[in-house]
Amino acid sequence: MTMIEVFSFLPYGKYAFYIWLAYGVTFFIIIDLFVRTSKNHKKVHFYLKNKYARRND
Amino acid sequence: MWKWIKKLASPVFFYNTINKLIPWFLWPFAGLTLLGLYWGLVIAPSDYQQGDSYRIIYIHVPSAWLSMLVYFFMALAGGIGLIWQIKMAQVVAKVSAPIGASFTLIALATGAIWGKPMWGTWWVWDARLTSELILLFLYLAYISLNNAFDNPKTAAKASSILAIVGLVNLPIIHYSVKWWNTLHQGAILDDISNPSVHPDMLWPLVVMVFAFQFMYGLLLLLKARDEVLVREQNSRWVRELIAGERS
Repeated sequence: MTMIEVFSFLPYGKYAFYIWLAYGVTFFIIIDLFVRTSKNHKKVHFYLKNKYARRND
Repeated sequence: MWKWIKKLASPVFFYNTINKLIPWFLWPFAGLTLLGLYWGLVIAPSDYQQGDSYRIIYIHVPSAWLSMLVYFFMALAGGIGLIWQIKMAQVVAKVSAPIGASFTLIALATGAIWGKPMWGTWWVWDARLTSELILLFLYLAYISLNNAFDNPKTAAKASSILAIVGLVNLPIIHYSVKWWNTLHQGAILDDISNPSVHPDMLWPLVVMVFAFQFMYGLLLLLKARDEVLVREQNSRWVRELIAGERS
């Protein structure tokens, strides 16, 4: 059984595998961009808070 | 205009402007993405030749378009930073690179996935595909060069020169389908007054192009906001801002 047949139950039949794979890859890359940005935001704030707290001690 | 640019070059003004602009990009991005996906995946009809596989264009075309537009902005901001020594322009150039690289990766990946059922192969060394791959390498080289220096000024200078030199690749990508006999099809929106796509399929594409533009704007603002804080960490206003968050 090919991948195309496995995924043919999804909307778009014989092209389902390709369409959902393309949208899945895109979704993953975009989510990764936002998650990295959010993590960096927390990291920057944590770093700055610690830096200023050390300076005040 | 020049007065406004000069004002925007001030890190405090830049930071405050970013915070004000974020909702103006977040909501149009969310709304247009949902609308474009529903329109493109549910309402738009199947193509008489390609069947449903053409629906990949709703992510492929906007990301390919943005991959070039972001590069142009990155080189432009890098050039402004290089000539006028505007630090905030250097920030815009630096944070644009990973976003542009991601759009290029999406364009290449979705193109390859579409190519398999339509062309019978994931990849061909076609002029359009190869020049787009070179664009990805240019982004990666820019990111590597920017991270290679401890001094942000030197990093910005070296990477901006690379970005400006790499601009030559943009017309090659755009005109590759005209200059060479490529397997990749020609531009579908070359002539706005006479598009080669039926309006029922075209409108969701236009919506998705705008959605991706707002996404770029949003990511740029979110990334630039943190980059400004890191660069200005020794400034009083950053100390006061962080102290305000703690209390």
